[in-house]
Amino acid sequence: MIFHSVDFVVFFCVVVALYWRLPQRGQNVLLLVASYFFYGYVHPWFLILIATSTTIDYLAARGMERRPEHRRRFLWMSILSNFGMLGFFKYFNFFIDNVHAAAGAMGIETSLPVLRVVLPVGISFYTFQAMSYTVDVFRGELRARRNLLDVAVFISFFPHLVAGPIQRASFLLPQVESRRRFSMDQALSGFYLMCWGFFKKLVIADNVGVIANRVFALADPSFEILWAGVFAFAIQIYADFSAYTDIARGSSRWLGFELTENFEHPYLARSPTDFWRRWNISLSTWFRDYVYIPLGGSRAGGWIWARNIMVTFVLSGLWHGASWNYVLWGFYHGLLLLATRAHSILRPGAPPRRAWLRVPQVAGMFLLTLFGWLLFRETDFGAIVRDVQLSPFASTPLERQAGLYLFLVAFVYSIPLWGQSLWVELGLARRLDTSSPGWPRMALRAAACGAAFAAILVLRSETSLDFIYFQF
Amino acid sequence: MPEADERHHGPAATTISSSGATVATTTTAEPRAPEARRARAGVQLALCVAAIVLGPFAFRAINDARGVSALPPTYLPALEGPRERRPFDDGTRHLLRQMRPGYVIISDSMGGHIDRRTLQRLTQRPVAPLLQPASGSAWWYLALKNWVIASGVRPRCVFILFRDTNLTDPLFRIDGANRWKLDLVARDREEEVNAVIAARTRGRLHHIRTAIARAYQTEATREWAEGAADDAVARLMIRDDAQREAFLDALNDRLGRDHMRPIEEADIQAADDREAEFDKYVDDSFLPLMLRDAHEAGIRLCFIRVQRRPVDGRPAPQSPALRRYIAKLEAYVEAHGAVFHDDAADPLLLAEELYTDGDHMTGRAEILYTQNLYNRLRFLFP
Repeated sequence: MIFHSVDFVVFFCVVVALYWRLPQRGQNVLLLVASYFFYGYVHPWFLILIATSTTIDYLAARGMERRPEHRRRFLWMSILSNFGMLGFFKYFNFFIDNVHAAAGAMGIETSLPVLRVVLPVGISFYTFQAMSYTVDVFRGELRARRNLLDVAVFISFFPHLVAGPIQRASFLLPQVESRRRFSMDQALSGFYLMCWGFFKKLVIADNVGVIANRVFALADPSFEILWAGVFAFAIQIYADFSAYTDIARGSSRWLGFELTENFEHPYLARSPTDFWRRWNISLSTWFRDYVYIPLGGSRAGGWIWARNIMVTFVLSGLWHGASWNYVLWGFYHGLLLLATRAHSILRPGAPPRRAWLRVPQVAGMFLLTLFGWLLFRETDFGAIVRDVQLSPFASTPLERQAGLYLFLVAFVYSIPLWGQSLWVELGLARRLDTSSPGWPRMALRAAACGAAFAAILVLRSETSLDFIYFQF
Repeated sequence: MPEADERHHGPAATTISSSGATVATTTTAEPRAPEARRARAGVQLALCVAAIVLGPFAFRAINDARGVSALPPTYLPALEGPRERRPFDDGTRHLLRQMRPGYVIISDSMGGHIDRRTLQRLTQRPVAPLLQPASGSAWWYLALKNWVIASGVRPRCVFILFRDTNLTDPLFRIDGANRWKLDLVARDREEEVNAVIAARTRGRLHHIRTAIARAYQTEATREWAEGAADDAVARLMIRDDAQREAFLDALNDRLGRDHMRPIEEADIQAADDREAEFDKYVDDSFLPLMLRDAHEAGIRLCFIRVQRRPVDGRPAPQSPALRRYIAKLEAYVEAHGAVFHDDAADPLLLAEELYTDGDHMTGRAEILYTQNLYNRLRFLFP
């Protein structure tokens, strides 16, 4: 089931209405049933995977606690089953394609099977989340849960099941296990988040996504058209992914849960380090805690640190999809971080934080991010090479005008996104909260919700696109 | 947006208690009694809901001012509220009468597989392609009924080219921008078409969308609000109307099919298995109406299921459900006196170089396709 459908609105209203009439245990049963219904709505066979993953991780964690001398074996059982499923569904064809290509390059004829099966949506998200549970139990940071229902709800909790944010077991499991009380404040803030999320998805992401899709379908884009398309994609992926997060967090609040934030206005980042503190925070912290730090983190310094960074980012790229362009994207961001570090070594001391420097820093980082999105969106290496060779001097006047037009259209749709980021970053939100009187502020908020809904009704794109991160 | 406030305070102000329960966020600086704060949040929530429910009624007022509300209901009241429709294209009927085609092709862009000149040369009869890119079975049925049959011509055969489950999916490509295409083939009243659509929308949650659209007159509003951003940008860049239109036409050409890269994924996804339930959907589709009207008019129909773009020289994969669906469709069509032809797995159509983007064919491939079709269906071309 997808968030931006009438089906989901009805489903969610029914779940919330039933949920608050039940005791805590009943609420968890309802959450599990609702989550499985949500996940298996289109392809019921997906449920076999999530149920298998849940059962194995539950048993592995229990095994670690009951037989500590074999806990490493149980950890491997969990790792192999989770990564086995992920690898089979997501990376099998990628592996076969590369074997095929390598054999072809050596002049060897191969006839290898190709998997003809739909990639289960959200498999990368919930396997990583399940892994966090068993690894934390293995490390002794979390006790294994006896109640399978609680573990199953933690792994399958429907608001964030398909596209995150990935929750740590130590954060979400205690919420699953505790008694929840309806809070009007929480419901209200959840309502705001959902309104804003639906607006971002249906009005911003889907409209600029049409531009990006058209540009990236071109065999012969000009320089201006291509970069207008990259800009549109940058807006699309942020609006789309953060919309999912907002709807997930908002709907969780209606159920008495709090999920971690996943975005902190990433396009206002001043440096690569700053960007990764703001973009897909839940995935970044997962890789930090379960890959980067176990590899040694920054303790070793020098080349070891550089290796750790590159391994972490390349794996993070590969996590997004079974394609070399994602690996390249991760590699590129790893290089950016290394360059930032090299710069700080060559010019020691805290960087200047003058206010006027912020604009060029943000603009520069945004341009670097755009190049990354080009690598992310172009799945074909040949196309990437062609794209980077495009020259602005080879364009016709029509192509220049077309590029400007597409850029401006994408920019107009993205104004609310930029506005909201600046609104928060400049502290205007806090100022309004503390300085303006109650009723006008309440009226303003209500008007904003009404305007968002009205905009969704008449400005939503005709082309309803899936959430981008569903494919990961 | 109110979200901004939430973002500002959200992660910092929200904590998890020792029991794991969330502690409500504080959204104002000054402390308040919990009851007062709860009441205030309740009032705020009620205000927001009221704004969402009542706000879009402003569209009705705006539409009243623009004279849109005075419009009569459309020919598809099951689907949409009043809106300004485009006129029925009567010219095509007259053209058909003048042309007296021996063969008619009705389809979306898939109809382009049949090269008109080649078929005319092979059959020595005029061929009339009635193709509407990005159309569905509603458009095809209305073109058959209101153009071909209403023109009084009696072609030897009407070919309808379709993909997978198109024929039993009456809702395919009838909403949004596709409504203007339907206007060209629809009369002022299309009760049978409306009944089919009503039957298909009744069981699902479609009626909620329809009710919202009616209440707020969103379709009529979209008509003038849609593309407002694009238009504003174009006006900003080019003041002159004629130059602006010329630019937009040139832009569409520049981004059009001729400049597209071959995209294997485009249009080649197998039909969703949920739609591949023939028995469940056939009665609430346009297929029975097509067969009935053609039979009454003495016109032979030939349904051609086009090949999906092959993958590595092999036919595009088909699920078992889709195979069952196609077998039932074939039996149904033939039982009603029409011809069924399936391009899938035709070895002559498996070379990938025959295709441009998705499952569209190159010009040369269309000639080859037409010759191949002529050979395979010789009994239709006496």
